[in-house]
Amino acid sequence: MRHGSDKQPRHFSAPGDAPRVIDQGSVWILVAAPSIWAAHFLLSYWVAAIWCAKTGPMASLFEPRWIIVALGLICTALIAWLGVIAVRRYGGVFVIFEEITDSSERGRDRFIGHVALLLCVLSVVAIGFTVIPGLVFATC
Amino acid sequence: MRRGILLIIPALLAGCDGRHNWLASAGAEAQRVEELFWVLLLGAAVIWSLVIGAAVYAHRRQVDPSLETQARRFILWGGAVFPTVVVGALLVWGLVILRDITSDEGDLTVRVDGERWWWRVIYETPEGDVVTANEIRLPVDRTALFRLTADDVIHSFWVPALGGKMDMIPGRETTLALTPIQTGNWGGLCAEYCGGAHALMRFDAIVMEQDAFDTWLAAEAEAAQVAGDDRGFEIFQEEGCGACHTIRGTDAQGPVGPDLTHLAAREKLGAGIYDMTPETMARWITDTHEMKPDIDMPPYPDLQGDRLDRLVAFLMSLD
Repeated sequence: MRHGSDKQPRHFSAPGDAPRVIDQGSVWILVAAPSIWAAHFLLSYWVAAIWCAKTGPMASLFEPRWIIVALGLICTALIAWLGVIAVRRYGGVFVIFEEITDSSERGRDRFIGHVALLLCVLSVVAIGFTVIPGLVFATC
Repeated sequence: MRRGILLIIPALLAGCDGRHNWLASAGAEAQRVEELFWVLLLGAAVIWSLVIGAAVYAHRRQVDPSLETQARRFILWGGAVFPTVVVGALLVWGLVILRDITSDEGDLTVRVDGERWWWRVIYETPEGDVVTANEIRLPVDRTALFRLTADDVIHSFWVPALGGKMDMIPGRETTLALTPIQTGNWGGLCAEYCGGAHALMRFDAIVMEQDAFDTWLAAEAEAAQVAGDDRGFEIFQEEGCGACHTIRGTDAQGPVGPDLTHLAAREKLGAGIYDMTPETMARWITDTHEMKPDIDMPPYPDLQGDRLDRLVAFLMSLD
């Protein structure tokens, strides 16, 4: 199955023209979103652990929970930005069963864009699941 | 083969009944976990049936390319969005239960210290701490806040019928709130492997009416009534038992082993494993490590005859 392989994404000038760093394109866009999720997880853990270590076992989690939420929003915004890049610059499409088998620079770019987009969605869900415990628990 | 399985099922289901049954709904917290369990089980059964049904349907049906778009949409919503929402909802539900059972509010506070392989139990009352061991009594329909610690290795405090469990970690305190809603004698146990006699580290969790509980706690707070010339107590001291055990109201103030002030008022001996009778008490003293391997208390095989009888009679009088 192939879908939309003839569709030209916006701002996509020519086949195989995907740039070579994230902002200018490369395979690094694949690991960027999961890395942001991992960083959010680690930072949330640090914030809660340091807060609870400094304030006592039954201290209120009111303040750190908003730090974790704010971190979550910032990370989600970063991932959304990556998603936009995946769509615009790589021609990624959010379609289930998208099968991209073009043996061309353009095909490879579209494949990377597609996978990066799916990873962006997965990472946003994972960040949501990291934020939820922070919102539910009121104390350390 | 099939008959063999059918024969095994009743034996396996028999394990679901009784005082360790976490589906007994004897505690408000256990009831909440049970609700979650049934929703998970039934939900999983429904989803499994739908998935298998869809697979069978797809296998039997002819391929229809015109349904490609609908099929893809079905997979997106049914295979990605729906599971994400369900798992998210279950996560919130489970976290809310966890938050409530680890709260630090209760109608009474009980500190429990896990030792190898028994339980030091301390009731906090306005008049001061009431120390006991290996048996926990609770008033029905009142939330008991357990403050849990461990002396040596990690233990885990679990009364399946009432709720829990919660780890007991050396160097820190964990909390667990339990609200019994049925009177009865429920079983408690250590749920984290903690060494040789781990499987013998048990206790009774006896849920009583409030009045009966108040009477019991008041009696438990009293010092032991020991006559100054009690021969059994003299033997207790001569054998050095008081170096490890405390009997409030006497010179025996050892902090190592279980408090024996009201030993005979407990239903079980050896941390919830033997009935409290003179026979088991005598065996416990002479064949300690056969009764419970690896424990710190040394056996006293030379203590026999009249001396043993008098010591046992004294211990059985501590009610």
